[in-house]
Amino acid sequence: MKITSKQINQAMVISINGSIDALTANEVSEFFMRQINNDHNKLVADLNQVDFMSSAGLRTLLATLKESRQQGGDLRLAAPQPGVEKILKISGFTSILKAFPSVNEAVTSFNSRK
Amino acid sequence: MSKIYHETRAAEFETLPIFRQFIQQTCEEHLGVDKATIYDLKLAVDEACTNIITHGYADMNPGSIILSLEFKSDMIIATITDFGHPFEPSEAPMPDLQAGLEDRPTGGFGLFFIYQTMDEIDYEASEDGNRLTFIKRLSVEVTA
Repeated sequence: MKITSKQINQAMVISINGSIDALTANEVSEFFMRQINNDHNKLVADLNQVDFMSSAGLRTLLATLKESRQQGGDLRLAAPQPGVEKILKISGFTSILKAFPSVNEAVTSFNSRK
Repeated sequence: MSKIYHETRAAEFETLPIFRQFIQQTCEEHLGVDKATIYDLKLAVDEACTNIITHGYADMNPGSIILSLEFKSDMIIATITDFGHPFEPSEAPMPDLQAGLEDRPTGGFGLFFIYQTMDEIDYEASEDGNRLTFIKRLSVEVTA
């Protein structure tokens, strides 16, 4: 598991490399919460290198989404791979958060008024 | 004809990636098991084992989890055996998928994913342990 952050325009892009399961979810969650505590609440989760995510990962995304919106920001997803995309769909998460095919599109979405 | 593989590990979160790797490797030995099926199996096994580690062995010394994978020409049968507290899957609540963000439950998705990805689920608790069996049917015949 490797997590890196990079500021692009208004957004803080968090790139996760590895699997998000019950073993690693806390680490991911703490990383996101640190960003929000440092006033970075427009977050992009770059999931391009996430090969596996379980419900523990969904809980992490949900908690981050709620916290970022409470702070006036948002959490948007970028580049989920087919397996991860499937669980986002069947759990109904795609109706409560925005997912984009690429990091660039997710970052740019913060520039528009939507 | 079928082929069976077994892997026994401690009931701890560190076992989760080991079981996923075991599923990946055994599936790759059988031509025709596609990526989506492998993901579904990993997900169902991961969620079931997470429940066993978190709830099954709660207030007990952590024991072991035995994962068996049986490959038949038209299905994969995954059996997970543990020796913790019994757990009845059909009694667990399902998440409300229509709920808005504020009301959205943060738990309950594990079992939901198992039901969404597996074709048959069977549970049996006895003196010999708790046995959870998943059947994943394959759309194309694989080499057993």
